[in-house]
Amino acid sequence: MSETCRFESDVLRAVEEDRWTDALREHLTACDDCVAAMAVAPWMERFAKMSDREHILPDPSVVWLKAKLLQNTAEANRVSRPLDVAQFLAYLVVAGGWAGLLTWRWDALMAWMNSLTPAGIVQTAASRTPSLSLSLVAAVLMLASITVMLALHTILAEE
Amino acid sequence: MSGMTMTLPAPLLAEAKSRTGKPGRPMDEAHFETFYRRHAGGVWSYLFRMTADAATADDLLQKAFFRFLRANPSLASEEHMRRWIFRTATNLAMDHFRETKRERTHTPELQGEAGAPSEPRAVLRHDMMKTFSELKPRERALLWLAHVEEADHEDIGEALGVKAKSVKVLLFRARKRLGELLTKKGLAP
Repeated sequence: MSETCRFESDVLRAVEEDRWTDALREHLTACDDCVAAMAVAPWMERFAKMSDREHILPDPSVVWLKAKLLQNTAEANRVSRPLDVAQFLAYLVVAGGWAGLLTWRWDALMAWMNSLTPAGIVQTAASRTPSLSLSLVAAVLMLASITVMLALHTILAEE
Repeated sequence: MSGMTMTLPAPLLAEAKSRTGKPGRPMDEAHFETFYRRHAGGVWSYLFRMTADAATADDLLQKAFFRFLRANPSLASEEHMRRWIFRTATNLAMDHFRETKRERTHTPELQGEAGAPSEPRAVLRHDMMKTFSELKPRERALLWLAHVEEADHEDIGEALGVKAKSVKVLLFRARKRLGELLTKKGLAP
């Protein structure tokens, strides 16, 4: 059942040219495939010849140009994929950094925020002792800088 | 196309290597234009008969040629490239039907008309398109590839993603079904 009947092309040609031999007529009595092919062949031929001339095909130079643009876009996406991954990792690192900092120095930060009242500021100035350690200030400044740089990079990259 | 990396599909690559021993340069625009002018009409006719919608046929035709260019088949024979483009067009048409899920009813040009055409040729065209669109997409593809493109069962099987040995049975059923439709409409020979 896997091969085309070897008479099929002869049958189709006979249909097209309306020239039948006795052998082909005899074959049709025993071959369902050829009978089915013969039944639809003239219609399929007319259907295939139905004119499509009124339709204007897309211009080949336009197709060529579009294909080139699509390939460029695909190539750009491929090249920028590592950068996207790096950007995502940077988001994770920054978010982790802030989370770690807040967890690590939560009490100190809360105490510092509570001291941001007029009375607290005066008291801190009078005692001449900084309310936040230098290492904490440095860590906050560093993380804030990285966050701003990452945000700027994201905005500029999108533009 | 210089500077662009294009991947040759395995069958084309195998054929290209077997003929030259090394992959070649990408197809240039002039070569593409010649190939396009020679075969785009046939591919469009096929896609139009499959989808019954000129805009969809245009869209799928362009996608087929985009894939063709991406595949860089410059070393394959013209016949191989023609078979390849029909296979791709078939895949795209089937994907289109799967995506839109309008296999049996998607005949926009036929349904969208306010009234039946009056000019005799247009009436005939309309009736033929309507009859063909009553078949399942796979049956349409089978009949077109077998009768119009005269593709062998192996090529049809590859295009439709079925085994070559199944094509004979599927084609027989498609022919029977079209035959029944033609008989029902009084169009049988």
